[in-house]
Amino acid sequence: MKTFEERWTAWLDDQLSGRELSEFEASLPDKAAAQAEKAQAKKLGELLKRELSARPLKNEEFFSHQLRERIGHDSGEQRPERASRTSTSTWWTIPRLLWAGTASLAVFWICTIFVMHQETPPEESQYLTQILNARVDPVVSPNGTVSIFEVKQDRVTVLWTEGLQSLPADYAAK
Amino acid sequence: MHRSLAVIVLVLLLATIVVPASQAAEKVWSGLVIAENVTGPQPVPPELIRIEGLLKKFFGYNDFKVIGQSQKTLNTGQEDWLATSKFFGLHVDARGETQGGYVLNLKLYKEKELLLETEAKLSKRSPLVIKGPQVGGGQLLLVLVVQ
Repeated sequence: MKTFEERWTAWLDDQLSGRELSEFEASLPDKAAAQAEKAQAKKLGELLKRELSARPLKNEEFFSHQLRERIGHDSGEQRPERASRTSTSTWWTIPRLLWAGTASLAVFWICTIFVMHQETPPEESQYLTQILNARVDPVVSPNGTVSIFEVKQDRVTVLWTEGLQSLPADYAAK
Repeated sequence: MHRSLAVIVLVLLLATIVVPASQAAEKVWSGLVIAENVTGPQPVPPELIRIEGLLKKFFGYNDFKVIGQSQKTLNTGQEDWLATSKFFGLHVDARGETQGGYVLNLKLYKEKELLLETEAKLSKRSPLVIKGPQVGGGQLLLVLVVQ
């Protein structure tokens, strides 16, 4: 069973016929007002159909041409921008190379000084002269002996010999 | 600005090159010294000032006279030289540079007679003194110092 609203909508759209149409029109309280309303609804429908329907493109070629041109233009704008970015990013100019060289040398010097300061001082024995071996001629000085003294306070090493042949004072001549 | 930069670079480069080079060559002084006790001692020779106190204390003499000497600049650490007096000769044969010094072979001759031979690692900071034979009332000392 259709409601009144459904039959009203169908009546406005001229979809009622025969007995259904006559029964519905008979149920209307004011048929003239209903007819006027139906006419208004039809006018509104036509207006909406006319205004809201999608307009077919009359010049598709022109439109796509415009679109392609726009895309081309946009990508063309990006290309020089990238090129200019590349040209400004040439960092290794001569002054910059000089600066980089100077900075590297400075860093090298700082590191060298730092490492030299960090180096552990050599053992005290490395400061002192060391006697590796010593001998007196056994033929000339058969009783000759050698001793080694390290005077750490004065940082002097002394090779002390005993039993060498004594010589007259004339041997002190220059 | 570029000029000042160039000066900085030059100074750093020179410092890099010159400093190690200046550390390379060192002089070794070797001397034949007669130590004696005299009434009016002479001032100690300049090469011995550094060890004057030790010489006096250790050997018990108050006068030190250089009778022969040699000063050799070591470039490779392989040089050899001779310090001579009228009767004595000290032959020094450098056999290479080590950490902080030089390895030296030393031979003391009395005329052509070998009295003493020794091999020492002479430190750049530590002199070497060798007690030689008694000469008259004094003593022959051999002294080696890296200057």
